[in-house]
Amino acid sequence: MILAVALAAAVLFGCGAYLLLKRDLVRVVAGIMLISQAATVTIMGSSLTRGSAAIGVRPGQAVSDPLPQALALTALVIGLATVALLLALVHRVVVVFRTSERDELAAGDAQHEADLEAERRADQEEAG
Amino acid sequence: MTLSAALVLPWASGVLLVALDGRRRAVGLLAVAMLAATLVVVAVLTAGVLSGGSREIVTGRWPAGVGIVLRADALGVAFALLSVLVLLAATAHEVIAGVRERTFPGLVLLLAGGLTGLFLTGDMFNFYVFFELAMTASYALSTYGGGRRQLRAALIFTAVNLLGSFIFLLSVAGTYRTTGTLAMDDVAHRMVGVDPNAALLVATGFFIAFSVKLGLFPFHFWLPTVYAGSAPAVAAILSGAVANIGAYGLLRFGAGIFPAELRLAAVTLIVLGAASLLYGAVLAVARGDVGETLAYSAIGQVGYVLVAVGVGGPVGLAAAVLYSVVNSLNKTLLFLATGVRGALVAGAFAIGALSVAGVPPAPGFVGKLEMFRAGIAADSPALVVLLVVGSALSVVYMFQVYQHRFWRADPAAAAAPSPLPLRALTATLALLILVAGLWPEPLLALSNSAVDGLLAGRTG
Repeated sequence: MILAVALAAAVLFGCGAYLLLKRDLVRVVAGIMLISQAATVTIMGSSLTRGSAAIGVRPGQAVSDPLPQALALTALVIGLATVALLLALVHRVVVVFRTSERDELAAGDAQHEADLEAERRADQEEAG
Repeated sequence: MTLSAALVLPWASGVLLVALDGRRRAVGLLAVAMLAATLVVVAVLTAGVLSGGSREIVTGRWPAGVGIVLRADALGVAFALLSVLVLLAATAHEVIAGVRERTFPGLVLLLAGGLTGLFLTGDMFNFYVFFELAMTASYALSTYGGGRRQLRAALIFTAVNLLGSFIFLLSVAGTYRTTGTLAMDDVAHRMVGVDPNAALLVATGFFIAFSVKLGLFPFHFWLPTVYAGSAPAVAAILSGAVANIGAYGLLRFGAGIFPAELRLAAVTLIVLGAASLLYGAVLAVARGDVGETLAYSAIGQVGYVLVAVGVGGPVGLAAAVLYSVVNSLNKTLLFLATGVRGALVAGAFAIGALSVAGVPPAPGFVGKLEMFRAGIAADSPALVVLLVVGSALSVVYMFQVYQHRFWRADPAAAAAPSPLPLRALTATLALLILVAGLWPEPLLALSNSAVDGLLAGRTG
């Protein structure tokens, strides 16, 4: 069972990492989502116990560990909120830049570099 | 009581202020007042902790071991005090200059709530929750300004740091698997009996997560774009308050919970720290842009912290605490000063620059002195030489920036000076830093007692 959970987490993380390297921003967000799910699966896998729910337990009855379930729930909620924020950010980027490709976002950087280079040249001329 | 108040006050007022229009002056001033109140509460808590030892409460009146433990020890309150101070300075700066987005004051208060929470918790998962609260607020803050550069910076910042957070979460799961608990004290005790390979893997996960926050050398790639692209107040918040998470995490998790793994990895940490230090300093000299120079300087300065953590022992760790405090104050002053023009500002910037370079009487000198002591304690001449080279390079790049900004007859720079209150605030911050350099005993005492608490918790 632990092996199955570990494999599931590994596949999720691998797919997430692959998507993260894509150029399209929506795929990058999907990759981060998959990695967050990998973390949740790992939390579940970190304590696999069999038993009834930890409420109204009779003495001698096996109880399943409630802590990882609480952790997984919290992690899911946080993951949902952060991914929603990230998607909102990507939406804003698409509206402002009119593209969701990473290369085109970097075009602004090239302009900045060119400005810096011009400034450096001006400095050298001033010094020389 | 003060412990709960330090968490509830910023959080509750943050929730309230997010709903209000932060562009109004009254709302901004309310946020500044609330941050000042939080600062007072944390200062009272700090005084209590320093005189009467660390405090602990279990939330919800659960028996110990079931409920989540909140704990205020010297290391936690020192970082909480520092972060709230930085947030207060940055918010006051922005309120005087005029807030441009309605959510800014509320988000800063939520960030303050998250930061004090994570510095004052004794539970790993609770740490993660507060950590996400603080990070989510700072993701939203990094879009402040709304320009193209800010948006791109925010996207990079959010994507990279979310990844770091999930690596942290994976390590939390690993900790629970190997020790069966998440209370930091119990984890530290039970880590001794854990299979060394598993423990090293978990510790590496935590190290990567905190290095990403701090922007250490192999994980720094996001930092220059973000710091240079954000508005000055936001850059000050990110480098002065949010980066503290990384430094605190390295100290709390490294020295407090994984001391054996820390010793094992000491050489690796020192090498990484040295690489970060040289890389940051060399690139800071090479860049022309003020924001980028400061960003690369931030990468270099955290290298010092990592070297000190790697040296370890009371001397090394005290140097790490002191250096993170001084560095975060320097960066706040410098980033805020880049957004201001006119008289008094050049002096304030010069004090910050001298502090980064480590020239007395600025507090950077005390930080560098402690670093040299750590280098001598490690019995390594190479380390001392490295620290000297790093300081020399920082003199070069800081005064390159100074010359570029304040000595140049540039028609664009001769624009109208900023309003006097803004310049006065920058000068006050500079004066505060100067006083900390002239009278460094409180800082030294604080960092020493922080490390004493950390090392005592380990053996006891």
